[in-house]
Amino acid sequence: MDTASHNISKITSSICPYCGVGCGIGLRVEQGRITGVEPLANHPVSQGKLCTKGWSTAFAVDPIDRITTPLIKENDTFRPASWDEAYQVITEAFSTAIAEKGADALGIIACARATNEDCYAAQKFARAALGTNNVDHCARICHSPSVAGLRQTLGSGAMTNSIDDIEKADLIVIFGCDPTENHSILGGRIIRAKLAGTKLLVVDPRLTRLARMADLHLQLQLGTNIALINGLLQIIFANGWEATEFLSNRCENEEALRAKVAKYPPERVAAITGVPEEKLIAAARMYTEAECALLTYGMGITQYTTGTNNVISISNLALVAGQIGREGTGINPLRGQNNVQGACDMGALPNVFPGYQEVAAPASREKFAASWQQKLPECKGLTSLGMTKGALSGDVRCMLIMGEDPVVTDPDQHHVQQALAALDLLVVVELVMTETAAMADVILPAAAFSEKAGTFTNCERRVQLIQPAIPAPGEAKPDWQILGGLASRLGYNGMNWESAEAIFNEIAALSPLYQGMSYPKLAANYGLQWPCNEAAPNGTPLLHSKQFSRGKGRLIPVSHADPAEMPDEEYPLFFTTTRLHFHYGCGSMTRKSPLLERETPSGVLFINPADAQALAIRPQTRVRISSRRGEVETRTVITDEVPPGTVAMPYHFKEAPSNRLTNNAQDPVTKMPELKACAVRVTNLEDGTK
Amino acid sequence: MKAFLLDDIDQLRDHLASQRSLFTPQYTEGSTELNWLPLTSKTKSVTTERPLLPTYPAKQFFFPDREILFQFDGSDFKETLPEPEPQILFGVRSCDLCAIAYQDRFFRQDPYYQARRRATLLVGIDCNMPCEGGFCPTVDAGPFVRDGLADLVCHQQQDASWLLMVHTPAGEALIQGLELKAAESHHITRRNKQEQQVAARFPSATHIETGIQRINQAQVPAETWQAMGLQCLTCSGCTNLCPTCSCFTSYDRPVADGFERERCWDSCLYDAFQREASGHNPSATAGQRVERFWFHKFSNEYTKTFDRYGCTGCGRCEKTCPGVIGVHSVMKRISATL
Ligand code: SF4
Ligand code: SF4
Repeated sequence: MDTASHNISKITSSICPYCGVGCGIGLRVEQGRITGVEPLANHPVSQGKLCTKGWSTAFAVDPIDRITTPLIKENDTFRPASWDEAYQVITEAFSTAIAEKGADALGIIACARATNEDCYAAQKFARAALGTNNVDHCARICHSPSVAGLRQTLGSGAMTNSIDDIEKADLIVIFGCDPTENHSILGGRIIRAKLAGTKLLVVDPRLTRLARMADLHLQLQLGTNIALINGLLQIIFANGWEATEFLSNRCENEEALRAKVAKYPPERVAAITGVPEEKLIAAARMYTEAECALLTYGMGITQYTTGTNNVISISNLALVAGQIGREGTGINPLRGQNNVQGACDMGALPNVFPGYQEVAAPASREKFAASWQQKLPECKGLTSLGMTKGALSGDVRCMLIMGEDPVVTDPDQHHVQQALAALDLLVVVELVMTETAAMADVILPAAAFSEKAGTFTNCERRVQLIQPAIPAPGEAKPDWQILGGLASRLGYNGMNWESAEAIFNEIAALSPLYQGMSYPKLAANYGLQWPCNEAAPNGTPLLHSKQFSRGKGRLIPVSHADPAEMPDEEYPLFFTTTRLHFHYGCGSMTRKSPLLERETPSGVLFINPADAQALAIRPQTRVRISSRRGEVETRTVITDEVPPGTVAMPYHFKEAPSNRLTNNAQDPVTKMPELKACAVRVTNLEDGTK
Repeated sequence: MKAFLLDDIDQLRDHLASQRSLFTPQYTEGSTELNWLPLTSKTKSVTTERPLLPTYPAKQFFFPDREILFQFDGSDFKETLPEPEPQILFGVRSCDLCAIAYQDRFFRQDPYYQARRRATLLVGIDCNMPCEGGFCPTVDAGPFVRDGLADLVCHQQQDASWLLMVHTPAGEALIQGLELKAAESHHITRRNKQEQQVAARFPSATHIETGIQRINQAQVPAETWQAMGLQCLTCSGCTNLCPTCSCFTSYDRPVADGFERERCWDSCLYDAFQREASGHNPSATAGQRVERFWFHKFSNEYTKTFDRYGCTGCGRCEKTCPGVIGVHSVMKRISATL
């Protein structure tokens, strides 16, 4: 940093790079560096506010430990290389793998932090340049069940309503998340609504901040969401509280659902969930009596082996109560990373092209093949976990990973490390040296969000423009340029775009959801919500108002199932993962802020006072946590936020990686791993010494 | 005090900009966000319309978000005192000027702050209407610029022409070369009257007055602070945007062969702000931290040192607090209890 003076030279309007709320952020540039941020007072979502992560953005983009040239690993150390050299190494390995095993021996993992333009480029690279549908991103470990579940019931996996609707609801129902921690600015709007008189119903095993403020808190046992919702539905039908007209006009399969939930009378549900009958009845009444009830949910719903079914049962509840399709209602999944919605929209998924056009459908294949002037692969590709499995079995030989850190964030760390080590070539496109990048054979330096143009799509489907505030350091460049250059080397010239805007125009031409959008239109409106087309030139704040994307809303009966691993004698406690307000993902960005780093000690186990007492654990006691897969040592925090019998650990810290413990049992539909529940034993390592 | 009449305030601005680099609140390109930015050929004419206040006060010009204190290269320490270019902040509002005066005292011994401050001349501007959420008259911080807080002060008169008041020799030197007509005493009298009229147009602030009393009489129950603490999302927005907040922390960043010590803005709302190495924390709960923040803004204990409250009535915390515990919300809650 230049010490001579601090002269603001400009402020560049952008979008916060952390979570799916998509707050407006001004990047203050002094002497060619980003030194601070200014919240955008007129931004429709954030209205002049930011959370602690947003405020710390200047640290996250600190150039101090950025990777600035391509790096090639030789004898276990990295040496700087030219782009030519790096491209050469990659091209050779990719071509050999294709020649020997076919294009499906390659895999691309795009990034839910990258722009739409980068994600679009990633899937086009996989499909058109390489010839494989092996492309995925980390939505797998947060919200793929939302997409899979809601597509079956409604026809679209996105948030049905808008963030503004929070203040139009009479009741807000929050399932399995605390938006004030992980989506703070949206959470703040819930607080504002609550203070103005909106009722709050929280369903969560943890006593979260919003649970403390709630009118009613259903503190269910870990992994019993379906039983609980089936129980609520049983009460609703038994009392005739369902939205009769809505059900007959807009939904199908009601009889099958009625038959299923009849098996969940309150006594049984109370026994499974641990929630008393009166509370179940009160909740069913609240939700059906509210004029407008807005439901929102997070990873406490999706990160289970039953993730897709959990989402389906949420959808059943909203449909039966008719709390969808109007302002102030709806089903609103909260996305983790800033552009996880966009990465899905762009088709960075093994089974769909941009705009959720099925790879399996010949018509969409023809459409994209014609536009991309390339024959396209037909068979569905591998998910990210499928790719790591394939790496272990030798079916996948090379992978390119864009700005993700699966070594820290994926379940079952040993498995991931072994898989990546088994590859012939691992290419990582990154800003800084992460655990995953350290395992790479080639690292390519990427431009940060503050150094490039592009768009992010927030959780309410708002596509928002970002623009470069400063140039990228050294030879770093945007992912789409990196991939375009590589595609040319591999003989495919359909990715030599001149600008991010040119990519966006290609996206708009091919994806009906984005069809009516352009950079100037986005700039003039603080973004637009998809679908945006001739029928809705200014975007669509509310989905499913007249009919569902799939026509009728489908009710699908689902059954309660225990988590794949339950506590037993050997591993007597439930273990769950959480996220901390101060950190984000693998922590590679947030942990650069001295304030955020100071705020939380490395690795913490949250334990209820009752369990702590039984194990003679005091605050900051050193403990070992063991599961069937591995063990971690850390220190304790005693809190009534977790219920007795359950311990929780955040997943941001490489010093105490919770994914050594978690189960990689998967949701059968989406292969979503069960990060939210497994069984562990906690051992007090200071016992007797103090 | 000398005073002159001025027809065209843009002419004054340009004249000043020809002598030193000049920063003034203006819309960031392509947006409706009012920010402190350098004057360029694209900068629009001075307006007196709302919004009156830029997102940030002026504190980051003297006490930047981040700044290097010294460098160590493995063998020697290198001092990194700033050597700023002479500059002008043009169009600072009364509340923000009061805050600069407050921080001038706080940082009296701080060479980094003082180096920047000495290189800067201030041109204030009177507010002829209340800003959104502001309550400067209640805390004696406006709406018109207090004598001595700026080098020059501009006041728009009812006929839209300007009165220019000169408070320092440096300010007088700045306007050398401009042909200005001297103002008369009735211009000054009229300005004083005008201030009362503008102050009367501010919405009622009895909740602030009552709140100040309750805080000073220790009449706010702990539960009220705890309830508000539950709403604090520890974003640090209030302390970042508060024009008088001045807490910082320092840390070492490794650089080739050595390290540099940097300091950055801190926030008393963070749990770890006062946490000791043992884990003990004198302000362990969020409620205690929220209480401490407001005590610092409104306690009579600090008026001896600073001659005023730590709040200058700008209302920025209300706008930026995601937890709905900015100054109006807090003072309404406090004054409603009992
Ligand atoms: S809520 Fe999300 S988008 Fe908004 S500032 Fe915080 S991390 Fe950024
Ligand atoms: S602005 Fe509000 S939420 Fe943020 S730290 Fe201050 S009091 Fe807490």
